[in-house]
Amino acid sequence: MRNPLHTIAISLLLSIPSASSQAQNQDKPFFTVEGEVLRPLKLTQDGLYKLRQTEVKAKDREGMEHTFKGVRLVDILDSAGVTLGKDLRGENLVKYVVVRAVDGYEVIFSLPEVDPEFSGQTIILAYEVDGKPLPKGEGPFRIVAPNDKRQARWIRQLTSIKVMFSK
Amino acid sequence: MVTAILVTVASLVLLSFIQPSTPEPYQLNYPAYFGSRFTIPEDNPMTREGVQLGRMLFYETRLSKNNQFSCASCHQQKFAFTDGSSFSTGIDGTPTKRSAMSLANLLWVNNFFWDGRAGSLEAQAVVPLTDAHEMGQPLGESVVKLKKTANYTALFKNAFGTSEISEDRILKAIAQFERTLISANARYDRYLNGQPVLSEQELRGMTLFMTNPLPAKNIRGAECGRCHGGPKIFQELFHNNGLDKEPKDVGRMEVSGQEIDRGRFRVPTLRNIALTSPYMHDGRFNTLDDVLNHYSEHIQQSESLSPFLAEASNEVDGKGLLLRSDEKKDIIAFLKTLTDSTFISSPEFSNPRK
Repeated sequence: MRNPLHTIAISLLLSIPSASSQAQNQDKPFFTVEGEVLRPLKLTQDGLYKLRQTEVKAKDREGMEHTFKGVRLVDILDSAGVTLGKDLRGENLVKYVVVRAVDGYEVIFSLPEVDPEFSGQTIILAYEVDGKPLPKGEGPFRIVAPNDKRQARWIRQLTSIKVMFSK
Repeated sequence: MVTAILVTVASLVLLSFIQPSTPEPYQLNYPAYFGSRFTIPEDNPMTREGVQLGRMLFYETRLSKNNQFSCASCHQQKFAFTDGSSFSTGIDGTPTKRSAMSLANLLWVNNFFWDGRAGSLEAQAVVPLTDAHEMGQPLGESVVKLKKTANYTALFKNAFGTSEISEDRILKAIAQFERTLISANARYDRYLNGQPVLSEQELRGMTLFMTNPLPAKNIRGAECGRCHGGPKIFQELFHNNGLDKEPKDVGRMEVSGQEIDRGRFRVPTLRNIALTSPYMHDGRFNTLDDVLNHYSEHIQQSESLSPFLAEASNEVDGKGLLLRSDEKKDIIAFLKTLTDSTFISSPEFSNPRK
């Protein structure tokens, strides 16, 4: 006979999506969302599929147009409980987002720059280009900011997104 | 009269023991082009007295088990605070796992060691002090020895306000001294300050260093600046730079457990690079020529090779930078402009007992 408390504990564990997905995705590449968030996240590609998928067209450094598929940065931040939309006012307007790559390279976006209510560009966290996973050295996750004239913020091999207050 | 003076002196001496002294804040001095993107821990503000104590401790052999090694054994000022060896030998005679790093401009570093595993200088310092193959002495033992050594009680009091000698204070003082090791007086700095001090060859080398190659447009470059760029000639990055297909030392992967970090190590500062041979985490290259030849012709392909190194070449579809020999000479000429002779001779950084 199984201990009933044990069964309850297991079913509780299974009902918490983050706990179960973390357990099965331990070896899958992931990135974190942290800082000024209500819910810190650890997201794998499977986790991204649960959010709204978006495609953007953007030109690479050589001027060739590609279709990038991923999730809008604003939707990822929203799922972590970041002050966006009607909450992006007052002191929240001095928040910024630090995006970090596996080699330690970092770039920032201001929070209003990410929010479509303020910004004219759709910044996405991409995982596919022209229907294929991002190539080695770029993926599994990268930022695509289609309107940036230079691509220094199209950060490759992204590992963390951190929301900060400018102090 | 004499008695009165004696009483006054005696009471002053007594007062200095009772009253906490207030250390004087240390004024950091660095060029504006270095920027102020650094953090000094809130619980370890820099003071002149703290730095002075840290300097004493940096050169203190009593911090080692056999009283023969100090931090300065492997971090010698004349070598820009490294030791000229591939690996260093500690108290037990065995070589260290990795090459001793040059200590320059650490104020702008957040993650220490070749694999970035220590989050502060305070956390870094404890490792070589206590590692059985380096200085090999528990901090508690160091505290006991310092308490028995003349002057340290007063030095700790001056630095921290009270005379307590503790493990924590030893680390804090050493970290304070290390934060003052700023190298910003090379010929390259005079160039950055607008003086025309660089030769034609050095300027050609600088341009190659800073330029990313684009063979389709006939633009030649060595792309060094992508990772070693900016006025500090340092950015805090970690890359697999193609030394081995299958690295014996997996580097940052040991810290992260992630395959993508296999063979990934710190991209070090290139300031004083002409003084800090041999090069790489294992000191495998004796000369700058060896280093340039590596990046030019001997990059080893692997899954975790830096994408920048995998892509950078001066030939269409080339593997490696494929620089000409005159270009390598120009780049080395530029690298030599990063040598700061005042850094390696400054009395502020030298052994205070000599």
